[in-house]
Amino acid sequence: MRSKVVALYWMAGLLGCLATAAGQGHQPTPVQRPQTTEDEGAVGRGHSEFKSSCGFCHGNDATGARGPDLVRSAIVNHDDQGNLLGPLIRNGRPDKGMPSFSTLRDSQVGDIVAFLHHQASAALHSARVPGDYPLAKLLTGNADAGKAFFAGEGGCAKCHSVTGDLKGIAKKYSPIELQQRIVYPGSKNIKKAAVITQHDGTRFEGAVVHEDEFTIGIICQDGWYRSWRLSDVEVSVRDPLEAHRELMNQYTDADVHNLFAYLETLK
Amino acid sequence: MVRSACLACAFACALSCFAGDEGLDPQVLLKPLAADWPTFNGDYSGKRFSALSQINQQNVQRLTLAWVLQPQSVDIKSSPLVVNGIMYFTTPDNVWAADARTGRIIWHYYRESQGDHIGQRGVGMYKDWLYFETPDCHLISLNAKNGSVRWNIELADPKLGYFATMAPLVIRDHVIVGVSGDVTDIPGFLESVSPETGKVEWRWNTEPNVGEAGADTWPQEGDAIRHGGGMTWMTGTYDPGLNQLYWGIGNPNPVLNGDVRKGENLYTCSIVSLNPDTGKLNWHFQPSPHDTHDWDAVQTPVVFDDEYKGVHRKLLAQASRNGYFFVLDRTTGEHILTAPFIATDWAKGIDSRGEPIPNPGKEPKPDGTLVSPGSDGATNWMAPSFNPDAGLFYVSARRLWSIFYMTAEGKPEGWAGRDRNLWANSVLEAIDYNTGKIRWQHEIGDGEGLAGMLTTAGKLLFTADNSSNLLALDPETGKTLWHVNLGARMAAAPTTYELDGRQYLLTPAGGMIFAWVVREK
Repeated sequence: MRSKVVALYWMAGLLGCLATAAGQGHQPTPVQRPQTTEDEGAVGRGHSEFKSSCGFCHGNDATGARGPDLVRSAIVNHDDQGNLLGPLIRNGRPDKGMPSFSTLRDSQVGDIVAFLHHQASAALHSARVPGDYPLAKLLTGNADAGKAFFAGEGGCAKCHSVTGDLKGIAKKYSPIELQQRIVYPGSKNIKKAAVITQHDGTRFEGAVVHEDEFTIGIICQDGWYRSWRLSDVEVSVRDPLEAHRELMNQYTDADVHNLFAYLETLK
Repeated sequence: MVRSACLACAFACALSCFAGDEGLDPQVLLKPLAADWPTFNGDYSGKRFSALSQINQQNVQRLTLAWVLQPQSVDIKSSPLVVNGIMYFTTPDNVWAADARTGRIIWHYYRESQGDHIGQRGVGMYKDWLYFETPDCHLISLNAKNGSVRWNIELADPKLGYFATMAPLVIRDHVIVGVSGDVTDIPGFLESVSPETGKVEWRWNTEPNVGEAGADTWPQEGDAIRHGGGMTWMTGTYDPGLNQLYWGIGNPNPVLNGDVRKGENLYTCSIVSLNPDTGKLNWHFQPSPHDTHDWDAVQTPVVFDDEYKGVHRKLLAQASRNGYFFVLDRTTGEHILTAPFIATDWAKGIDSRGEPIPNPGKEPKPDGTLVSPGSDGATNWMAPSFNPDAGLFYVSARRLWSIFYMTAEGKPEGWAGRDRNLWANSVLEAIDYNTGKIRWQHEIGDGEGLAGMLTTAGKLLFTADNSSNLLALDPETGKTLWHVNLGARMAAAPTTYELDGRQYLLTPAGGMIFAWVVREK
């Protein structure tokens, strides 16, 4: 069983099919604040109420107009379930020209508070690109130009085929995943392939799972992990992703968008 | 023989115990780095070059473990201080004092806090007191003898998104403190506080006030300048002769969208010189005008003196996160040299001030923009080193491609987008500061390098690769002279000190600290 899994792994590496993206980043960690479960209904109602009562001064999305941006407001950030915002909305801030909204029902104030916290939270967590990022935003390229790039300048057709390994690729991945995998499919599952020759002439082949300047470790075709000191062996490594890395230096953004528009048609 | 060794030992101990009573005289920090490691970068220069040479090219093969300290912590990202035989190191919420002879913990201070726990770079020391910054943006003064709290002040409001990671810099009777946090649109600043009371002596805002010089690099309408970011993440450097404090300033906010902050956005992504007594700005240089890629310029502004094209000059150099290496005259800020140290594609050229000209086409877009380097940077917090013997500047560099997406609809707030990393690998580089040319490169593997550098008069460069190997290299050639696998990534920098006539190499890796000495023959 083990060797079968490894063999598949190995095949994946050799074929260079589109695999998990590498994600090597250090995402910023949002400030930890007491999280309360967001009530989507309240946020929606609060948005409507905010637009009619507050939007004229603070902007319909609370990012400021004649009045201040409330997404960045210290009061919003210090508020705990309306303990500061509730009285402020009801009493207004006459010294700053904000009228009172004393006729709003408790539930309406609560909804506005929910909306403001939603807006602040959205800004706080804006350092991300969601997995369901809309296709419409990404689809700015020309599919015909992408097809020409695939067959010609990009050299994609040297390794890939839209009727072979890439058939139906747009069904397999979300748009944003597909765009990134086109540029770089990731090295997690697509391993380099190594041939190791010992001094006695024995050869081992396998997928590279460890490589530094002192040692190399591979999963051999029999499924076993083996490692050597580099000084003890001759090593030949082939990296199926090399062409992708070379292309990164050559792509224009239009090439990327065109290529995406083309491959996105492969449903 | 044994007896005389014991006597010598006892004498040395008595001496160091006596010295320990003295704490750290801030005058000591004005001198070149010697036996101790008394401030974040060792000394004020940021060179991270030690004159100790007991560990050297001839005996590096005989390096052996002196001790291992396992505080059961998260990854250690701090540079431990070593003063009078006692070591002080940190992780977020935690400070430890340990015996630098044995690795035995003497005391442990813990204070739970809310806020971003991304990292903690270490403490500053003044006489008997330590200064420690926390994830909820407090500055705490501890008694170095026992870890008890003397005072605790809030530097900035954590509920607005401020937190703190940096190691305070003590200059005479000033404690210079910076703040972190670019997830929300808050303004950055640098402060000097009294080492005795924590009272603020001056505050320098990283965005000028309306009407001041530099304010014209922001929109004149609206509140962009008051929410423009510019955090002071990392410890700066200092020239006692010029009495100039040098600091690298963080990126502007909103991070990936510059539409609401058109202009160069001073003093974000800048290197600034301040008077440490008044906080008054002397000069500035901006590695990334109008940044939209999170390329803060907080990397160590290293100061060194040298002959430059036949003229003696006081220089300052930074290998910046945006992929460019800069050399300045640190007296005036006059630009001397700009050179890329990795392949980048975001600048249209270099302007007459030596600053890269950002290409608007490479700003983050809704449909994605492929950029080198990604937001994690061509380098980052990893300490560089300058070796005066070799005349080379060393940086842990990354080749890093990323697609940047601007996701905000309506007015951008916070990050307003993100990049997704595609591929990274890392390389140690030795840069000739006269030409900006790379003298040698030493590959350290796929992924992003995290380890800083140390160079020594023993003709050695210490750092780590991306496979957890601790490396000793020849600083002239980059050739590996010795290595050992530590079993954990190094996310700090190696440091060194001398105690009882023995040179120790100190290497944090993961949540452990390893101390190395030369095995006697």
